[in-house]
Amino acid sequence: MFRRPNLYTSYEAENQIFPTWTQRGLAALAIIILLLMPFDVPVISQIPIVRFLGDSNWLRPVATMFIILVGALGFNLLAGVAGQVSLGHAFFMGAGAYTAAFLGGEGTDAVYGLGLPIWIWLPGAGVGAALVGMIIAPVAVKLRGLYLAIVTLGLVFIGIHMGNTSWGKKFAGDPGLGRSFPTFDIRLWKEEEPLLLMDDDSKWLWFEVSDSQKTYFFTLVIAIIALLVAKNLARSKTGRALQAIRDRDIAAEVMGVSEFRYKLIAFAVSSFFAGVSGAMFASLAGKLPAIQWNLFLSVEFVAIILIGGAGTVAGTVMGTVFVILLPLMIEELTIWLSEQIDQGGLFSPVANFLLTEGPDDFGPISIATQTPGWPLNVFDWNIALYGLLIIVFLIFEPLGLYGIWISIRNYWKGWPFSY
Amino acid sequence: MTLVEEAPSAGTAGTGFRTVAARAKAWAETDPGHIAFREKDYGIWQEYTWAESWELIELAAHGLLEFGVEVGDRVSIHSEDRPEWVILDLAAVAVRGIAVGFYPTNPMAEVEYLLNDSGACVHMAEDQEQADKVFEMDQAQIPDVRKIIYCEARGFAGFDDSRLIYWDDFLEVGRKHREANPGAVAARMAAAEADDVMTLVYTSGTTGPPKGAMLTNANADFAMGRIIEETDAYPDGKAPNKSDQILTYLPLCHVAERIFSTWTMLSGGPTLNFAESIETVAVNLREVQPTLFFAVPRIWERLHAGVLIRGSDASRFKKFVLSTGMKAATYIGQAKVDNGGKHTAVSRVLHSVFYPLLFRAMLERIGLRHCRRASSGAAPIAPEVLQFFMGLGLDVYELYGMTENSAVATCNYPGRLKLGTVGEPYPGTGLRIDDETGEIQSQHAGVFKGYWNKPEKTAETFTADGWLRTGDVGEWVDGTHVKIVDRMKDIIITSGGKNISPSEIENSLKASPMIKEAMVIGDQRKYLTALIGIELDTVGNWALRRNIPYTTYRDLTEKPEVEQAIQKIVDETNEKFARVEQIKKFRMLPKELDHEDGELTATQKLKRSAMSAQFDELIEEMY
Repeated sequence: MFRRPNLYTSYEAENQIFPTWTQRGLAALAIIILLLMPFDVPVISQIPIVRFLGDSNWLRPVATMFIILVGALGFNLLAGVAGQVSLGHAFFMGAGAYTAAFLGGEGTDAVYGLGLPIWIWLPGAGVGAALVGMIIAPVAVKLRGLYLAIVTLGLVFIGIHMGNTSWGKKFAGDPGLGRSFPTFDIRLWKEEEPLLLMDDDSKWLWFEVSDSQKTYFFTLVIAIIALLVAKNLARSKTGRALQAIRDRDIAAEVMGVSEFRYKLIAFAVSSFFAGVSGAMFASLAGKLPAIQWNLFLSVEFVAIILIGGAGTVAGTVMGTVFVILLPLMIEELTIWLSEQIDQGGLFSPVANFLLTEGPDDFGPISIATQTPGWPLNVFDWNIALYGLLIIVFLIFEPLGLYGIWISIRNYWKGWPFSY
Repeated sequence: MTLVEEAPSAGTAGTGFRTVAARAKAWAETDPGHIAFREKDYGIWQEYTWAESWELIELAAHGLLEFGVEVGDRVSIHSEDRPEWVILDLAAVAVRGIAVGFYPTNPMAEVEYLLNDSGACVHMAEDQEQADKVFEMDQAQIPDVRKIIYCEARGFAGFDDSRLIYWDDFLEVGRKHREANPGAVAARMAAAEADDVMTLVYTSGTTGPPKGAMLTNANADFAMGRIIEETDAYPDGKAPNKSDQILTYLPLCHVAERIFSTWTMLSGGPTLNFAESIETVAVNLREVQPTLFFAVPRIWERLHAGVLIRGSDASRFKKFVLSTGMKAATYIGQAKVDNGGKHTAVSRVLHSVFYPLLFRAMLERIGLRHCRRASSGAAPIAPEVLQFFMGLGLDVYELYGMTENSAVATCNYPGRLKLGTVGEPYPGTGLRIDDETGEIQSQHAGVFKGYWNKPEKTAETFTADGWLRTGDVGEWVDGTHVKIVDRMKDIIITSGGKNISPSEIENSLKASPMIKEAMVIGDQRKYLTALIGIELDTVGNWALRRNIPYTTYRDLTEKPEVEQAIQKIVDETNEKFARVEQIKKFRMLPKELDHEDGELTATQKLKRSAMSAQFDELIEEMY
């Protein structure tokens, strides 16, 4: 009710995504900024983060981030909301990617491919992965916790192995190079001229739109749809049932929540998200070998929801941004630091201390791409940092970045008291 | 000096009065979609529009007709505040019956007394707890009760009693009756007279058994006109209107809550929000953020204590900000008190700095940020508490009245507020202070018809020239404002011959968050002493933070640290009073006082004689 935000006269009002007009306004503003970010629009392009991310070199990493976000939302639903610890998310992404390749890819002698348009292969990728997920779900009814994690871990290795079998190669292509995946071009059917070609520059309304900007928009729209679906699912009856199972499965069953049914839903929906994410990930990459759907990808999702805040959609968004953009920023920082040394800039002593440029130089970060041991290069540092951050967050802030936000918000919510 | 404000007129009686039921019907006709009530159920504030509410009232009224309620028959209601309370109350008035409210805390013996005294023929018992009180009595002891309506079905499955009927079934009975006799309720309503008794309000009975004060339609109409509709009493000059929100949480059987919630709703159209229970008032206040708020001193004291306690638990930076803010609030409060409730230049500047930073958030936490008029009444309150809220920017207007004059006596007005007084007599009402006894006397159209079935008690209440004796001793302040000294029979005369008002000292003690109850003793004694009861929550919390372990209430009161802390509060209080009024010794009450044990009345007032008898040993120890 107006001026009385806590006076709820219906459950709908209590469960709104954006309960106050301030929040609605901020959400609308965020979407406008995201839409205008790639363009050189006055004012908006001056906002610090936008100025940084809006750069054309960054559009592709940001698009990757949106794609990973879709998968992370699915993983959050399974692991965060329903509490089913899974390490098999990469497997489900792969299942989606190869379903997409089968449906939408070019068929050759070496690989299958039906060449169907995107409106079939993208949802199809989700459905394909969901079906695989539903096969796994009954296992989750039987096993929980660590055992489920081990079983799903096994899936990842089975998946990679299958990609190397003779019939697997028909889907996955050459084990070294992989196969080519369908592009984002939008066609009605198999016509030569697509309705919308994604990899050229053209004019939309009064904006000149480059290919990377188109990809950015496409992934942004999919990510927003995924966000809405994930948020609505989490606040619905299904979402509450999943949380009940997470908090105490036996108690949930006593209250009439069917464990089998909801674990099935959790795996199916989570895998659907993973499948869509995997298909888009592969499509953006162009060519991927099956080994790409490995344990490290799964762990990346674990890092995302643990750092962001398990069980919350907002936390998943924060975690994705953090985990995907952090390595890129560190890379950017390393480049900037080595430039400082070269140019003798203000920070060159700091850079000199941090970087190792030659065999006799001292510094924890190596700029070489291949390093035998200490000092580590940027890529190795990123992996180490994931582990470190997971440890730090689990110990000091189990609710993740979202938890930090909550404690800041509560500080002011309680003002001038502490409770 | 005797000051007669104005010869009382005949009031509005007989000319253009409207019963509360007629007002409800008018709202349903002119504004059917407006929200009349909100009740929190399953975590959600369920809304009742006026059209829905009137439908329920009409059905209930038809139901009462089916049960044979004749003109002047009593309908008793024994329930916490809930929409059914108001619906049945208005339905009873619609059929020209008399609604009688019981306190939910009334024990079985009192319920039996009240049922017999009022002779109620239809009784509403909220739930199994209240119904059990009736079933403990032999049916022969309460022969008049023909029907017992219950609202909460839980626990009733096993009962087999022809008198019992569930609320929904009762409405169904009404629906059938309405189909058979469509205009029956309307006909009763049309025949209503100004002199019809509409309700019996049982006085709390600090001395004898409760007496049922008869209030008529004319009394109610007059009270609404004086207390609610006078725009002078509102700081922004607007009478209650449809955008206002009220939180209903005090017992509706008390005349004050009836006036400040149901009658205010019927007069101006504010929405009533029923608090879930007295324990959840703090939470409900925050949700509802009422615009009009009436509270008894106990509630104001608790709100005040809540701010102090939560403030002392805050983090370091917040504590620093709070202590600075509190200094400003103290200054602002004092400045406003000295200036009749108005800002001075300095206090206005301070207010405009601290309000956005601190006070607004504090009022929001309490739940009174949107409150446009706050008032306190029904018992005397310590001025410190009112001054505290004035400092935060919430002016609390103390007012005064009693059941017998429909609560119409005096009221503080914005801009003319005098702290420590109960304000000025309402315009057009008679109020005088007797020269000899100092008793406040009142005469106007709101004065009640008499006590139910107690003509001799009624006669005692009026002076020879027909003025209502309030039993309160008062004095004029600056010729315009009335200051209440105390209840006449409570005034202490020490053996030295000094007249002392105990309630002033008691309230000063109770302004501390640690003290819940205080009773000053000293009648016919050499010096004053006091019995003090601690507030379990706050003292418990205080002890916890000092690592003082305790088990029970009694154990806590016996801790030397607690006694020292209370001694400090007593010493501080003593500084405010003259030598003869200082408390020389005190003892801690070993138990929490309770209505059911006969130490408090239903409105949580001390029963002094019962207390003196029960804690005789403690008292004698001190002399």
